[in-house]
Amino acid sequence: MDLSPVTDALAVKSFDKIADICDTLMLQVAAEGISFHDDWPYAIHLLGYFYLDDCDSARFLWKTIPTSVKESKPEVAAAWRIGQKLWTRDYAGVYEAIRGFDWSQDAKDMVAAFSDVYTKRMFQLLLSAYSTITIRYLALFLGMTEDDATTYVVEKGWTVDAASQMVTVKKQAINREPKVDSSKLQRLTEYVFHLEH
Amino acid sequence: MSTVEAVITSIQGLSASSGDLYALHDVLKGAVDSLRTDSELQLSTLDQLDPSKHSLGYLYLLDVLTYGPVSKEKVLLIARFINACDAVQIRLASEKFVSLCKRFKDKVLELRDPLLGVAPLLAAVRKVQVSTKRLTALHPDCLQLCLLAKCYKAGFSVLSDDILEVDQPREFYLYCYYGGMICIGLKRFQKALELLYNVVTAPMHIVNAIALEAYKKYILVTLIHSGQFSISLPKCASTTAKSSFKTWCTPYIEVGMRYNDGKISELEAVVVANSSDFEKDNNLGLVKQAVASLYKRNILRLTQKYLTLSLQDIANMVQLANAKEAEMRVLQMIQDGQIHALINQKDGMVRFLEDPEQYKTSEMIEIMDSVIQRTIGLSKNLIAMDESLSCDPLYLGKVGRERQRYDFGEDFDTVPQKFSM
Repeated sequence: MDLSPVTDALAVKSFDKIADICDTLMLQVAAEGISFHDDWPYAIHLLGYFYLDDCDSARFLWKTIPTSVKESKPEVAAAWRIGQKLWTRDYAGVYEAIRGFDWSQDAKDMVAAFSDVYTKRMFQLLLSAYSTITIRYLALFLGMTEDDATTYVVEKGWTVDAASQMVTVKKQAINREPKVDSSKLQRLTEYVFHLEH
Repeated sequence: MSTVEAVITSIQGLSASSGDLYALHDVLKGAVDSLRTDSELQLSTLDQLDPSKHSLGYLYLLDVLTYGPVSKEKVLLIARFINACDAVQIRLASEKFVSLCKRFKDKVLELRDPLLGVAPLLAAVRKVQVSTKRLTALHPDCLQLCLLAKCYKAGFSVLSDDILEVDQPREFYLYCYYGGMICIGLKRFQKALELLYNVVTAPMHIVNAIALEAYKKYILVTLIHSGQFSISLPKCASTTAKSSFKTWCTPYIEVGMRYNDGKISELEAVVVANSSDFEKDNNLGLVKQAVASLYKRNILRLTQKYLTLSLQDIANMVQLANAKEAEMRVLQMIQDGQIHALINQKDGMVRFLEDPEQYKTSEMIEIMDSVIQRTIGLSKNLIAMDESLSCDPLYLGKVGRERQRYDFGEDFDTVPQKFSM
């Protein structure tokens, strides 16, 4: 079994492509009748899905993993613990699952990358969902110590009230430009043409 | 020269041009019966051929060789052939190719290794398909394997084309049913609803099991996706479906009715009472998702009534344990883009907002553009279908006869229809 596409993608840190590469490769290998279960990089495959926020596919993959593999490879089980927390939306639990295992060299980079992406996702969620939040919760959502979390958000312009232990969220003005170029005009002409015929 | 040798020679000599291939096809058709009884034909015979160059001949020989009990070795041989074969050649004998693929699928299931068949069948669908609008006999088999192997993403890729041409109703029923299940698994409920709707509203004279199971899932997905249940079937459903579906789906109708009432505890009671039915239908998970969606629907209703509300009030109104749970529910809904709101932890309040989308960004224009283009494509297809129908001799013949029956002309004393025996 040739896993070089996966290792190549890991080497250049194209973590967003890992899930697709693994999917395609797995179908190929299976069609050749090779029994791949024992050597398959399940942990990496699962992490690839988490990186893309595709918890459904991760869950289906987990269901196909033979019990013997689940039992003999603690890293696979550890990766799925992250999945469980994501699945139940235990936001703080995700970080605990990340920290709760001594990841192998191969998985380490990927876990760190996922952790970063996840923190960013959580920051965006807080930004869109909260007007004020306690420092304790902020730290849980971002997976940091309370001090680190406050520094992280203060940099982004949020204000901290030490007395009440509250953080006020500052909305970011998202600058999207309403750009219209000539190709759009062309398409508009086509629509009108279609409607008149 | 023996039959096998002669056939091999013809295959090797006649696989290049399309004219040759037609001649070869005749040779093969003539030789099939004698090949079937020829003990000289062995797996090793195939080594003399290249599956990608001699696809048509290879297909005929492989078909003969894989009758009866099949070893894993032969299954893998079929897999390799499907992968390597030339699409143009196998389309000359597409029925044979389809039956070989179906046999392959059955064997894969016998081996309890559905994953083995996913990639070959994905390839087979693409190869046998003349146009992406056309449903092939292999679509349902491919989706079934994807479901069994839990390769939902791979299955979803098959569903991306709009199907407009169908040969066999059964294939279409199964395609939509399995497709609906794939979409449910990936939580693409709108797409799932579209597919299941096709089965529920398909023309039918007698109720069939596929349509019935599709209707059960249709009810549940409607609840999850649109948050309400309608006892009457869609208008365009057949009379058969309208009259008999309900008698077969009483537990599901019951769930729908209680869902409409909006009381969680009553809904849960119905689910518990009928849980063995749901389990038997393999729908218990989906039923539970429907129950969970009632919380969301109830919160959604609050956003239409109130501008601000305390978390405790939300918990009381939608029957949640406490303010913390209400906060988490609201947060999840914001994360999924179902509502727009701001949680204020300081005062324990939630402020509901309008959708901030102003439909003026270039991303939104892109989305609208693609929707318009899809609609234009659809209307073009409709016009093309209308035109081909109005030129169809069968249709014209029928319309012509009907017109004759009513058009008696001026010369005749018209007799009312019911008296003309």
